[in-house]
Amino acid sequence: MVGAFEQALLALMIFVIMLGMGASLTPRDFYLALKRPYGLMIGVVSQYGFMPFIGFLLITTLPLPSAIAIGVLIMACMPGGTTSNIFTYFSKGNLALSVLMTVTSTVFGVLLIPIVLVIYANALDLEIPRENIIATLVLLLVPVAIGMVMRKLNANVGAVTEFMGSLLALFFIVFLIVSWVPRNWQFLMTTTPATYVAAIGLGLFGITIGYVFARSLRLHPRNARTVALETGIQNGPLAIAIIAFTFSGDEAQSYMAVPVLYSLFIVIMSTLVTLVFRRANTAAEQKMPDGLL
Amino acid sequence: MTQRPWTAYYATGERTDIASPAYRTLPDLVRSVAETHGTAPAFTCCLPNGMNGTLSFQQVDEMSDALAAYLREVAGLGQGDRVALQMPNCLSFPVAAFGVLKAGCVLVNVNPLYTAEEMARQFEDATPHALIIVDMFADKIPAATRDHPIPNVIVTRVAEFFPAMPRGIVGLVQKYWDRSVIPVETAHTRLPDAIAAGRARIAKDRVEVDAYHQPVTSDDIAVLQYTGGTTGVSKGAMLTHGNLIMNMEQTMELLNSNVTKGEEVALTALPMYHIFAFTVNLLGFYWLGARNVLIPNPRPLSNLKRAFENYKITWMSGVNTLFNGLTNEIWFTDSPPRHLKFASAGGMALQSSVAERWEQITGKPVIQGYGLTETSPVLTFEPLGKARPGSIGVPLPSTLVTCLDEDGNEVPQGERGEIAAKGPQVMKGYWQKPEETEKVMKNGWFLTGDIGVMDPDGYFRIVDRKKDMVVVSGFNVYPNEVEDVLAAHPGILEAAVIGVPDDVAGEAVKAFVVKVDPGLTAEAIRAYCKEHLTAYKVPKRVEFRDELPKSNVGKILRKDLRAEELAQVAAE
Repeated sequence: MVGAFEQALLALMIFVIMLGMGASLTPRDFYLALKRPYGLMIGVVSQYGFMPFIGFLLITTLPLPSAIAIGVLIMACMPGGTTSNIFTYFSKGNLALSVLMTVTSTVFGVLLIPIVLVIYANALDLEIPRENIIATLVLLLVPVAIGMVMRKLNANVGAVTEFMGSLLALFFIVFLIVSWVPRNWQFLMTTTPATYVAAIGLGLFGITIGYVFARSLRLHPRNARTVALETGIQNGPLAIAIIAFTFSGDEAQSYMAVPVLYSLFIVIMSTLVTLVFRRANTAAEQKMPDGLL
Repeated sequence: MTQRPWTAYYATGERTDIASPAYRTLPDLVRSVAETHGTAPAFTCCLPNGMNGTLSFQQVDEMSDALAAYLREVAGLGQGDRVALQMPNCLSFPVAAFGVLKAGCVLVNVNPLYTAEEMARQFEDATPHALIIVDMFADKIPAATRDHPIPNVIVTRVAEFFPAMPRGIVGLVQKYWDRSVIPVETAHTRLPDAIAAGRARIAKDRVEVDAYHQPVTSDDIAVLQYTGGTTGVSKGAMLTHGNLIMNMEQTMELLNSNVTKGEEVALTALPMYHIFAFTVNLLGFYWLGARNVLIPNPRPLSNLKRAFENYKITWMSGVNTLFNGLTNEIWFTDSPPRHLKFASAGGMALQSSVAERWEQITGKPVIQGYGLTETSPVLTFEPLGKARPGSIGVPLPSTLVTCLDEDGNEVPQGERGEIAAKGPQVMKGYWQKPEETEKVMKNGWFLTGDIGVMDPDGYFRIVDRKKDMVVVSGFNVYPNEVEDVLAAHPGILEAAVIGVPDDVAGEAVKAFVVKVDPGLTAEAIRAYCKEHLTAYKVPKRVEFRDELPKSNVGKILRKDLRAEELAQVAAE
């Protein structure tokens, strides 16, 4: 589905983007997020409590063939992905919290994904490719750390890197959508409405419930936006890798339908949600009187 | 009055009198400080995204020399010629301001947000020979100089003197994304080109920059600082080299025990074209050898986040609005500046609730000062740890403050009177307006227009204001100016403008309007005002009335409107 060259290109783009994201952070941001782990705990609960449950509700209410249903469940059990960090950045959310949530959910994923699958899928025996988990973490943490160091050494280098990273991130989002559609055109045409609903609903409900849950526990809107995006945006490539690792042939193809479809729609949906979040952020900004320039 | 009970509140080691300024003129100060601190960073301009540029003391000194040479040799200016400076905080500000002073010229600070009409009025009065302006506001030049052409226009930009990469990015963003910079149509020279030309003159013709300002004395005008005008005409307070150096020293005297020369990092979020930041931040921080972190635009307040993250701010100055705003920002309260020693407030009254919350969050106090443009500006300050709610504190060293009755006699202690001051910081007068000067100078006292009371131990409190002036977040608004604009609207019969209490800005402008056009809305009036007035002068509230209270000679009684308004506030 995705060639090796494309995969390398994507990895390189993510690396540069995360370098830029890292340059927008300071160690203190992480310290603050860790000092009050409340937000982090809410994130984990939201990620592994609500998301699989949403997936479960979707497959029990929608008329889905069992192969598709398994795809939905696997997708619902995934940790957050790098994309969530990018959208959190553009949403003016708490990027340090987002990165920590991604790391936590990915690390805990090794333990929690099988447990959740036991609960909802009677022990669907999945092989979790550790190297993918490690690659995800490396691709996230290494550039973020380098970006932070660059900023510390020279604020201008940091600011320019952040600027370039965010430009590339915009390109990345467009690239994901534009390159996805022709590659999967045939697939788009043959997919049933119920599958669409499942693939779109997973992200949409995830974001909504994540936000409502975080706000109801009195998290600051900035952190609630972060939890929402982190909950709704799953690591699609990891799901695809897990399926490819565990299954083969037609079986793998049909399991992958939802993760592939989800990967497209989550980017579109997150873009829209980001616009809404940005507007909310501007509206909540303090109005300074005109006396001060 | 020779008794100064307040000196008991000075900290140990603080001088009660400063005999004479430490430097003869501001150029001497600039040179001498640059020699001491050399290559240490003097000014850093920090943009909201963290991109920044830095000039050392030596660079500022050298570049301002070159600009002075350009102004005198190339632009042909002479001693005492006025040069208007119109820019937000950026690296060009100190270079331009010091360059103008070194050329022996008079600096005229102009608010960059002024409309073309407001600029024109100020130019008409000050008749500047040169204008140094930032490109974002250069589109207003043609309209502003139509009647009074300015022969030399020098254009700079916010990211001037930044390293090439961030400068280029900021330029592209401003041009194509914000669209905040449009091509400058007026004939002009770019600031770096002017500096290069001046530098060439110094190298080639062995021009002595010091010779330009040698003839200048401490009693000569350094800055024309405009305060708006009671009749809509701008008044320029003539502040001399002596005024500014003394006020800077007087103010720094209070802080001396808390700061170390050459080791402070100061945050300048207030605009330096305003007299408070000009004296305290531009001159004071420079004199201290501090690294001065300049913020071009503190709105929204998140624009300050990177500056607080990237620099170990030890001192900042602000107005009530800024301190209040910061204490409501989650990023600030989550991570208050850890190296801060203290903060100083001016421009408008600091609310005690704000001061308390600030101290709670940062663990460091805010020192409040009081003063006016005409007094360079600081007259009184609240001694550290001895603040009294509702008080403006005690007078500075070498400063006499008292309360006078209508006839200019001192009132008995504890009684109301107009606050009047004597000191080395009191201006020379208003530029070319002797009759206006006469109104505010009585028997050697400068009349502030504020009605106050002195406590037995020398603390002063303001209880009323004699002038109708409104102070919006540190900026003076004269009702006449706003009323003139309103009266020119065809749909308005008459209008009155007063100041009303405002939670955020301290005071807000309120207009009472009698309309002839029944369809006229408050929004339409505000939009109309925005075309003619800087944003802070535009009435925040508009109330329609069938008639306005008037005296038997037909003069609109603003005080009646104010009384009604205050009664209403009290009732709520």
